[in-house]
Amino acid sequence: MPNEYPARRRSGWWLRNPRYFMFQMREIGGVVSALYGLVLLNLLMQLSAGESAYNSFLTTLRTPPVLYLNLVFFGFVVWHAITWFMLIGKAQPIRLTREPLPWKIVFGINLILWFVVSGAVVYLIFGGM
Amino acid sequence: MAEREIVFRVTRYRPTAGGRPTFQDYRIPVRDDMVVLDGLNYIKDHVDPSLTFRWSCRMGICGSCGANVDGRPRLTCGTYIRDLGKRIVKVEPLSNFPILKDLVVDFDDFLNKLASVKPHIIRKDWGDWTKEYTQYPEDLEAYRQQSLCINCMLCYAACPVVGASPEFVGPAASALALRYIRDTRDEGAAERLARLNTKTGVWECTFVGECSVVCPKDVDPAGAIQTLKFLATQRHMRRLLMPGAR
Ligand code: SF4
Ligand code: FES
Repeated sequence: MPNEYPARRRSGWWLRNPRYFMFQMREIGGVVSALYGLVLLNLLMQLSAGESAYNSFLTTLRTPPVLYLNLVFFGFVVWHAITWFMLIGKAQPIRLTREPLPWKIVFGINLILWFVVSGAVVYLIFGGM
Repeated sequence: MAEREIVFRVTRYRPTAGGRPTFQDYRIPVRDDMVVLDGLNYIKDHVDPSLTFRWSCRMGICGSCGANVDGRPRLTCGTYIRDLGKRIVKVEPLSNFPILKDLVVDFDDFLNKLASVKPHIIRKDWGDWTKEYTQYPEDLEAYRQQSLCINCMLCYAACPVVGASPEFVGPAASALALRYIRDTRDEGAAERLARLNTKTGVWECTFVGECSVVCPKDVDPAGAIQTLKFLATQRHMRRLLMPGAR
């Protein structure tokens, strides 16, 4: 077509709408989840390398910069989880009656289950202390 | 009804001149009962007849009057100026489409995507043309929501994935594919799912969900795409476990 002005996605598009921003943060949360997986894998590698390697890796993890970074990363992962819980009822509407369950109810149920399971895991790890 | 003046800041692009699109300001009188399309028509009738934009029905049916109003894709015939609450109303062409002139975009690409999902009833054998294909209210209900699509393309303008990967089949074409897959008279589900179960099909969608937010007909294309992902996976597994299945 002569002299059409081509479609271009503007830089900073994700700052123009709060929902785009939330989406981008969710995606970053996905990358951070993968990073956590790598940390866990490295932990296992250090464990197989022996006690001193394992302990020195733990010491590194406990240094303030890593702890602060962890706090930020943890925020992203929590956001990732929450936004996906928000999407479950929309992605696969659950139909018990003629009308599907509203997504907010599915979201609420997922949140409750998440807290219960997380509480159980925390109790299993720290309960005997 | 009381009149007041506001500014319409409208994108201008002259294909013969080329260059980048620019903005032009028009100060116009508006009333509370005016929609954005009325404002554009006021400019065309009284201020600048060269301003170019599409419209037809003025009642949210034809789907031709879409534009980015204050940064969000909307039907200009369904957006009241008073609801925007602004002294400057910005009207731009829909994002993610090439601009032909001013607010008019080229939607050939969308039409090709739509054609690729075969948005019509497919039957192996039409049999007796005098026979009726009976449908019950619940059969209609299964695809009614997706059948409300008016091809306004607001969902394409809202989708950042369309912006990043122009080959993505996109929201409305997917929703219409589901509309025919769910039709009890149709036998073309396998063909459509084969098209959609590709890199440029439904798997490109990362579920931003903005398409469903801006859709003026509550079609929920984002939900339709997730259902199609499920159906495509089901078909893939069936073909894996039962070679020869469609
Ligand atoms: S799905 Fe909605 S927004 Fe997209 S073309 Fe159809 S009516 Fe318009
Ligand atoms: S003019 Fe037909 S939908 Fe707006």
